[in-house]
Amino acid sequence: MSTDRILQFELARLNAHLPEQRITLKDALSASDPQVVAKDGSKHKFERVELEYISKIVHADDWDKLRLPILIAVNPKLGRGAAEISGEVEAKVISQVLGKERRNQEIVIYRPEIAVVRAKLPTTTQYFFMVG
Amino acid sequence: MAKAIGVAPTRMELLKLRQRAALAQKGYDLLREKMDALVIEFFEIVRKIGVVRAKTMQQLSSAYRSLSTCFAVQGTIETYQAAREAKKEVEVDISTRHVMGILVPAIEAKPVERHALARGYGVYTTSSALDEASREFEKALGDLIKLAELEEGAREIALELEKTKRRVNALEYVILPNLKSMVKFISMRLDEMERENFSRLKRIKAMLEGRE
Repeated sequence: MSTDRILQFELARLNAHLPEQRITLKDALSASDPQVVAKDGSKHKFERVELEYISKIVHADDWDKLRLPILIAVNPKLGRGAAEISGEVEAKVISQVLGKERRNQEIVIYRPEIAVVRAKLPTTTQYFFMVG
Repeated sequence: MAKAIGVAPTRMELLKLRQRAALAQKGYDLLREKMDALVIEFFEIVRKIGVVRAKTMQQLSSAYRSLSTCFAVQGTIETYQAAREAKKEVEVDISTRHVMGILVPAIEAKPVERHALARGYGVYTTSSALDEASREFEKALGDLIKLAELEEGAREIALELEKTKRRVNALEYVILPNLKSMVKFISMRLDEMERENFSRLKRIKAMLEGRE
């Protein structure tokens, strides 16, 4: 049974880095030290360069709609290496970064695209593993 | 056979094992995804290290060249004396950022490059070659801080990658095959018991019919 317990612990730990509360781009831009507090109590800091890059992509009216960090939801049901980004503004940012068209409020991206997104936005994006 | 595998061939046990196998499969899928993501992060950070390391080496080479010039122009002892007089504090702000649940350091150094008057040595008694060498070393220090941040991040990611890989391998090659073989064994044993029961009933029925 200890194997199951280890496994359950590992699964619970997968999303420990996610923030308790996400902040809007508007708040992040106005903060002197833009950061969020993770579920495990640690702090995650955003790079100002990235925030400015995103602010150029997103229209100023949408700054309070975009919540940071943008979550890259990894769902094994989508297949290995696939992930989705939900939210209208979030999907718009990712589609602009990748130069990829989106059909609705969600965008599905694949491993090479995830690498590009993570390289361009290392602090303003985070992985979210869909355990349920 | 039941003893060899170590499970009781009952329906209850079969249900439990199926649940465990489902959990293990889910864990395996997610941990494999995590491992893939860690590999992406690791290669990206290694690529960055390559760039920053090359830049740092170039900067250090330039700095040491300037220092040699300074030794030649100003003299070795005078240069060492000025170095002893110089202020050596560099302010850095160390915070953390998350990469897949791994805390990697984020180091922000306050501007390392200083004005000649802020360095602490006397400007009247030293030559401009010393200023040049100092400037070059200050630039190199900035690059070294960035390199340290990246290398520590890479080390943390590599450690987590190693751990995750070990777990994925354990699930893939030990736990899941064991669970699957146990489920298969119990299913086969239950089927066998059902067949035995069926043939026993048939036999009893035949015997009863024979008596009549």
